[in-house]
Amino acid sequence: MHFLRRNLAFFRLAVLTNLEYRVNFFTDAILQPFCTSLIELTLWFAVFASATSTTIGGFTREYYLAYALWTAFVARIATSWMYEFKMIEEIDSGSINGLLVRPMSFFEYYLSQLLGYKFITTVISLLIPLAMITFFQLPTIYSRIPLALLLITYYLVLVHTIGFIVSSMAFHLNRIYSLTGTKNLALWLVSGELVPVDLLPEPYKTWVLDLPFCNGVYIPVAYITGRVGTSMVWHGFMTTTVGLAVFSIIAVFMWRWGLRKYVGTGA
Amino acid sequence: MSLTGLQKYSRLYSSFFKASFIADMEYRVNFLTRIFGDVFWYLAQIVMFEVLYLHTDKIGTWNVHQTRVFLGLLFVVDAIYMVIFSDNLDRLTERVRKGEMDLLLTKPVDSQFMLSCQRVNTALLGNFTIASSWLIYSLFKLPHLEPLKLLWLIVLIPTGVISLYSIRFMFGATAIIFTRSENLQFMWYQVYKLGMRPDHIYFPWLKFLLLTLFPVAIVASVPARAVLDPTNYWLFAWSIAWTAVILWLSHRFWNFCLKYYSSASS
Repeated sequence: MHFLRRNLAFFRLAVLTNLEYRVNFFTDAILQPFCTSLIELTLWFAVFASATSTTIGGFTREYYLAYALWTAFVARIATSWMYEFKMIEEIDSGSINGLLVRPMSFFEYYLSQLLGYKFITTVISLLIPLAMITFFQLPTIYSRIPLALLLITYYLVLVHTIGFIVSSMAFHLNRIYSLTGTKNLALWLVSGELVPVDLLPEPYKTWVLDLPFCNGVYIPVAYITGRVGTSMVWHGFMTTTVGLAVFSIIAVFMWRWGLRKYVGTGA
Repeated sequence: MSLTGLQKYSRLYSSFFKASFIADMEYRVNFLTRIFGDVFWYLAQIVMFEVLYLHTDKIGTWNVHQTRVFLGLLFVVDAIYMVIFSDNLDRLTERVRKGEMDLLLTKPVDSQFMLSCQRVNTALLGNFTIASSWLIYSLFKLPHLEPLKLLWLIVLIPTGVISLYSIRFMFGATAIIFTRSENLQFMWYQVYKLGMRPDHIYFPWLKFLLLTLFPVAIVASVPARAVLDPTNYWLFAWSIAWTAVILWLSHRFWNFCLKYYSSASS
């Protein structure tokens, strides 16, 4: 009970903190993905304008427009930069001391905040693709949205665990920020944000689908837009669970190793 | 600028380079991961177009070979910009907010030069090598390359870099007026994203905007057109002249912004 109460407090803290600077929040949650989706939509218009067939990979232009629209917003929800940077900064600067002495774990403190931040981002930002999809009558199965969001939430736990591993490296290496960027770019490459994974040639398609990293963007968006069925979502839950198990072991090891080395001389 | 002035700035830049290299080598893992980070960015751009071309012969007016050349030029211009300017301009907002500008403004050097060139990202010289290799590879793979056309790149690649720098600098300079202008910096990236795609995929009005108001099409699309399309002297002349104008404008804008500067340090 106490565990839930304190994590709910962290969750609320993130919601309030992020809503404090509303223009920043608006840019982050709405303006940026909106601009990205417009650029992607232009690309798909151009692709279909020069294509000799009315379908690509078995889907019409409308499917790709819906995919591009959802992807820009969902990808924004499924990535974690800010809290990973904060975790690294806490370790790097020594201000982690203040958190280590509290009756909670560093992992849960930031996980609950990440989920709080993503919750408010989801609630507000997804209104845009929903409105646009409805207005332009693009393919979307609305009843599938809750399960897709559940998969994204589960995937966020995995993303946070990976972020936790990266930030634990800050115990050993002083400048680790660029690793966050590299890691996020690598995840971006296989997430399905650039192109739908089903367009990849074999065996790359199978490899990417068997990795857990397309569970944040490709599988939820493909599921919502009707490119894949429910079985693919369950596959997504399974690969995320396997990924979570593997990365959790690494995370525990890295954290313990880091703490053994850490000398709390910071602020 | 006089010859003595040019020598002074060259010596200064050489010192910046040495200092930056020493600082970069201090954190070697960071040095390496920065290179790898950009390799993933290159890969992402390549993979996206390669996958699309598996399903269509042309996007806009270019085929896969032509788009590879476009990407090569984008990577080269971007790598040069990243080495020389990116670290400086990315920190501009923070420097204004923390009051780090005071000391800089009192130095007997042009403040725009100092702010733009003080930190050289030497790690990304590795990226420049990778980007150039991809460009050379894509040019070799091009079925009907006219080697003489490559001479245009001597002018148009620096034009692309200067144009990229000038727009980015103007976005960054707004930090002096607004102090917290992170949102405008986010918007800069969205504008730049438009330049990361061949300009012929855009609607005519957008293409026009990308050659005039936000000239990010000059970054890679114009140099790529010089190599791939029939020579369009008007377009190249416009790109060069307009880049000179926006560089001058960036300086004027900087001086205008400085009028609003109030020291933030204690």
